[in-house]
Amino acid sequence: MGATLRAVRALVLLSGFYLLGLGLLALLGAADWAVVLWAPAAIRIKVLIVSVLLAIPVVRGMAMLRTPRDEEPGGVLVTEADEPRLWATVRELAREVGTRAPDEIRLTADVNAAVTEDARLLGLLGGVRRLYLGLPLMAGLDEAGLRAVLAHELGHYVNSDTRLAGLGVRGRVQVGRMIELFHAKADAKVDKERARQERKSEKRIARGKKAKEIDTEGAGVTYRTMARIYSAYGRLYLRSTTSGARRQELAADLAAARIAGRDATARALRSIPAIDAANDHYLSSYAALGTDFGLLPARGEVFGGLRHLLAARADEVAGLCEELPDEPASPYDSHPPVAERVARIEALPDDGRATEGSGPALGLLTSPEAALGAIEDVSLTPEAQHMRRLDWPELVHEAMSARVARGTEELRAAAGAGAGSLPALLDAIDAGRTWEIADRLPKSEKAAAATGRAAREFARPALRRGLSALVTDELLRSGRARWELSWTGPATLTLPDGTADALPAALDAATADLPDTGPLRALLSQQAPLPL
Amino acid sequence: MARLIPLTVLAVCLYFWFKSRRAAKAGGSGSSTAGSARNKNVEAAASLGLLPADRLDVEEINPPSPERAAATATVRSGDWAAGAAYVEEAGRDWYERDRRISLLAEAAVEDDAWLLAWRRERPEDPAAAAVHACSLVYLAWEIRGSKQARHTTQEQFASFHRVLEQAREAFARAQELAGDDPTPFIDELPLAMGLGYPHEAFERIWTEIEKRDPHHFSAYGSGLQYWCRKWCGSHEAALAFARRGAEKGRPGQLLTLFPLEAYFEQESYESDIEPQEFYNRPEVVAATDAALADVAAAEQVLDARDPRIVQTRHLLAWMLYWQDRYEEALAQFRLVDGHIGCRPWTYSGDPKARYTKVRDYTAAEVLKKRG
Repeated sequence: MGATLRAVRALVLLSGFYLLGLGLLALLGAADWAVVLWAPAAIRIKVLIVSVLLAIPVVRGMAMLRTPRDEEPGGVLVTEADEPRLWATVRELAREVGTRAPDEIRLTADVNAAVTEDARLLGLLGGVRRLYLGLPLMAGLDEAGLRAVLAHELGHYVNSDTRLAGLGVRGRVQVGRMIELFHAKADAKVDKERARQERKSEKRIARGKKAKEIDTEGAGVTYRTMARIYSAYGRLYLRSTTSGARRQELAADLAAARIAGRDATARALRSIPAIDAANDHYLSSYAALGTDFGLLPARGEVFGGLRHLLAARADEVAGLCEELPDEPASPYDSHPPVAERVARIEALPDDGRATEGSGPALGLLTSPEAALGAIEDVSLTPEAQHMRRLDWPELVHEAMSARVARGTEELRAAAGAGAGSLPALLDAIDAGRTWEIADRLPKSEKAAAATGRAAREFARPALRRGLSALVTDELLRSGRARWELSWTGPATLTLPDGTADALPAALDAATADLPDTGPLRALLSQQAPLPL
Repeated sequence: MARLIPLTVLAVCLYFWFKSRRAAKAGGSGSSTAGSARNKNVEAAASLGLLPADRLDVEEINPPSPERAAATATVRSGDWAAGAAYVEEAGRDWYERDRRISLLAEAAVEDDAWLLAWRRERPEDPAAAAVHACSLVYLAWEIRGSKQARHTTQEQFASFHRVLEQAREAFARAQELAGDDPTPFIDELPLAMGLGYPHEAFERIWTEIEKRDPHHFSAYGSGLQYWCRKWCGSHEAALAFARRGAEKGRPGQLLTLFPLEAYFEQESYESDIEPQEFYNRPEVVAATDAALADVAAAEQVLDARDPRIVQTRHLLAWMLYWQDRYEEALAQFRLVDGHIGCRPWTYSGDPKARYTKVRDYTAAEVLKKRG
């Protein structure tokens, strides 16, 4: 289908959305009119109120038709002078694909590459072309893989996909929003109904009766019906546009395979979900490890540290590349499932380019370190930019130590002034004050309701945890323990010889009903610092 | 339109009439016929001197024992030595020793200051170790609560399992100290059931019990639960286990109760068993007769209110009722009426209703036959 035809179809579908809204309003109006004429007063008021309630989201939905204004283009703009090799590669690929090269290249901190075009006149005329390129994505690909990704993205320009994207996206966003709006209303109604029934069953229990099962099936039915009407339209909309969108993706894949090679393209497609998963894990478990305590990795490492993780876990990542999601991320996703895309590429005849060697994709940049540093300036919040920067081993040790220290706070507070230090707490345990202190630790509702021995059992894990933190904190402060970075697993605590084996039993003994702090005191009295 | 209205009214009336008829057949309390039959039964029970529903105790099987209450009160006051002496008084009557240890363990669930003192003073005392281990199991259930899983928090489950693990270690310690006493082995059986010990582990414990007391009533009670389908076994395994005990037991030891319990567990578990048919099978009737003879023998050697006799009478009453042996059933009801805190009544959501329904029906049938 040509670009013009597709534009017309998108317009028709979008106006269908208006027609649906107007139709629904007319229907509600007709119902009101009928009720005013024939129904008794009580029903009349009820129907009028319901119809107004239903009309509000319809009107709101139609008024919200504007898609949110395009944001400022993000990322770090790199000129041809900054990155000559990257620009040369993109230009060469654009030529091979058969389209005009982008006007801007912007480096970002995502595991993604994307092209956009500021289209004019509903997408009938082209505008400024931008290529967004995520450095973490580059960190996970080799040069051939990156060429495949770039060729795929540039392929979208050829097909005028980018120009029409605005209109298609607009309709898709619109219908999706409408459905959400009605579902949100229905859920709010269900929550209200649940709260009402819970209050009622509390009363029943208070009166010594059995509580009824809570049943909210009937609540929010009208809103859900409206949502269903819009969902039906949404499905129609998607059926007529998604297959097109997915065809565009497959066409772009074929272009990539032709230019970058079959195997490099398939490999890149397989890698992207794996890199994405690795990056999620990296960001939460490594880059953000010390953010609670105002600590960040050294400049260039906040996003660049992913390289170490990928290198250390190459086997794991390779395993992830083998298991591909065979369902689209959501029914509204314009991309076909990765498994299908990979299967189509791998079914192509061998082009004999499997063995083409290539270096890491980041090698295309003049200085990967400088680029990784530069994207921090545009990606980190001002607050994060002022954090203390540490090299990885120091960062892990300090951040984990700070976590341990934080873990001691509750017990210190519960022990109160005077018993907050470890020696004082051990003395308090020996003096039989354990449960008086443990009773002041934060507790759940059930634990608070328990008395006697049961209360003690509820408190024991928190007490043991707190005591363990105090002991670890003491060992860390005195240089007898150290946290070690590992790129293949969680950070590990290195303790003096024999301590790791003896510590659990010593903690058990100190927090037992008949407490014995002896083993713990013995462990703490060992003076040998770690060999560093 | 106007013609439709009477038709609709008629349809609605028909529907309600039909519904009320079905309710009557199912024995619903709302219908008048079933209600009047029930009233007649209640009157029959009353005329035979049986207690009204509001005077039934659903927690216990016996009136409160002043001796046991005193033992609990003494230890709670901190006098653990009196508790130790109370256990020792049982001597080598292992059934009684087990009962006393369980009683103290129960008392230690809420407040165990006295037990801690006892263990601190006498770390090698076998009774203290047994009470401690046993009380951990009770404590675990106190923490777990009796609500369904979805009303139980993660924290409760975690503590429940942690305390059960502690109990396991505590039993191992108590067993080291036990000597001839089977108690700490027997009291581990509910743990074996709850934690799902493998059959070999159960057999190891059982061997130790048999070495010390091959006819222990409570051991067979807990062992049977372990072998039930709902815990770690099957209907067949449970029945085989119970039969082995019944054959081995001497008259008056009341191990003949356990085949009846196995049948009752099976019938309670399977919703498609028709109790009238099931409880009249020849093997069930034979087991019932054996238990009746055993009770007669036990009356010669045991106290009339001995829990072993009382428990057997309750289940006998149930079996005899289903076997339409109403005179015999009534004889059992007369001897246990008033305290109904045991099987088969406790398996019902409303034990009182189950008990009075069966007892009052029995009473009415007896009166009918007597004319």
